Amino acid sequence: MMTTELSLFRQDALREIGNIGLGGAITALSEMTGVRFMLEVPEVLELTTSQLHLVCPKEECLMVGTVARVEGDWGGEGAFLFPWESAQVLWRILTGTAPADLGELNELYESVIREVANIMLGNFLSAISQLTQFELHMEPPAFAVDMAAALFSSLMVEALYGQRELLTIETRFRVPDQHFEGFFLYLPDTGSLHKLFNALGI
Amino acid sequence: MLRVVKAEVLFAGMGEIKTARGDGILGCIGLGSCVGALIYDPATGTAALAHVMLPEPNGTELIDMPGKYATTALPALLEALGSPLVPSRLKALLIGGAEVFQNRQNALRIGTRNVEKLHSLLQARRIPVVFEDTGGQAGRSFEFEVATGRLTLRTVGSAPQTHDLSYLLGLLAKAG
Repeated sequence: MMTTELSLFRQDALREIGNIGLGGAITALSEMTGVRFMLEVPEVLELTTSQLHLVCPKEECLMVGTVARVEGDWGGEGAFLFPWESAQVLWRILTGTAPADLGELNELYESVIREVANIMLGNFLSAISQLTQFELHMEPPAFAVDMAAALFSSLMVEALYGQRELLTIETRFRVPDQHFEGFFLYLPDTGSLHKLFNALGI
Repeated sequence: MLRVVKAEVLFAGMGEIKTARGDGILGCIGLGSCVGALIYDPATGTAALAHVMLPEPNGTELIDMPGKYATTALPALLEALGSPLVPSRLKALLIGGAEVFQNRQNALRIGTRNVEKLHSLLQARRIPVVFEDTGGQAGRSFEFEVATGRLTLRTVGSAPQTHDLSYLLGLLAKAG
């Protein structure tokens, strides 16, 4: 499904879903860190590699990413992506230190990012569940640090292969006064959007 | 006044096919599970590159970009090279096909399957794969200088690697 095939009304509804879900996720992250994160209004977009430039001016810039499979009435894939410098900000907030480069990355740092993804996606899903009464379960997030384009294109290809909607609810979140950006994508399974609209009665 | 201008790199984006000869440079940026499949024709000094995303189409979808699928990319690459009558003289390079997300449950192994599909398709046409850097967990970028056979590979966290493929590609015979 393309964004152009969705009515403006339904696009608005999806944006609002994203807002509510991510609101829950951001609150959880703020509680976890004691830092106030700000959420931008989510956008409903067709997934293309050109969106990469929204977060990363260079396709080869280093990015930290997690993706987790969501099973249930609104199945799909939820992914969080952080430019390396932003992941360093998260690590510093949560552990007091951060790896200077890829060579210093270890299991502790990796598990911190997985945990952040776990808590944020978990809260995103419970906010959606409350709204829709959907049963949603997530699997443990997979982790990667690589070129932005490699992470993005791998997610996109999986979505194409799984005949998932090439449609994302995505947003950025920031920390005021800090150089931090996070990027969230939800790639719903084909058919699951109709279920969502049905549940919302639209 | 003479100025040496380095040729611009023709990058194949997802699903695209690019062709170059002479001073041309072909490349791909940020290959994750995708594979850069490059075919070189020593007889004409021409190379064609496809940024392959998936092994084959999974339904009846419109094939708007033949480079997208391994099964449609190979015929399109041969056409881009002028449909050589003796495909066995061609040389193939395969780069990419990684699984960048680790510990994935129900992993689709798309990278691996892309590479396997390209191998079997190339083998069926008796086109030898003379260079391969595939699989693993790291995303890759590369640039290939058509005239010299020089290949530069980049992954995150390590220095760029340069390979001289002139001999493997049969470039030396013409160098003298």
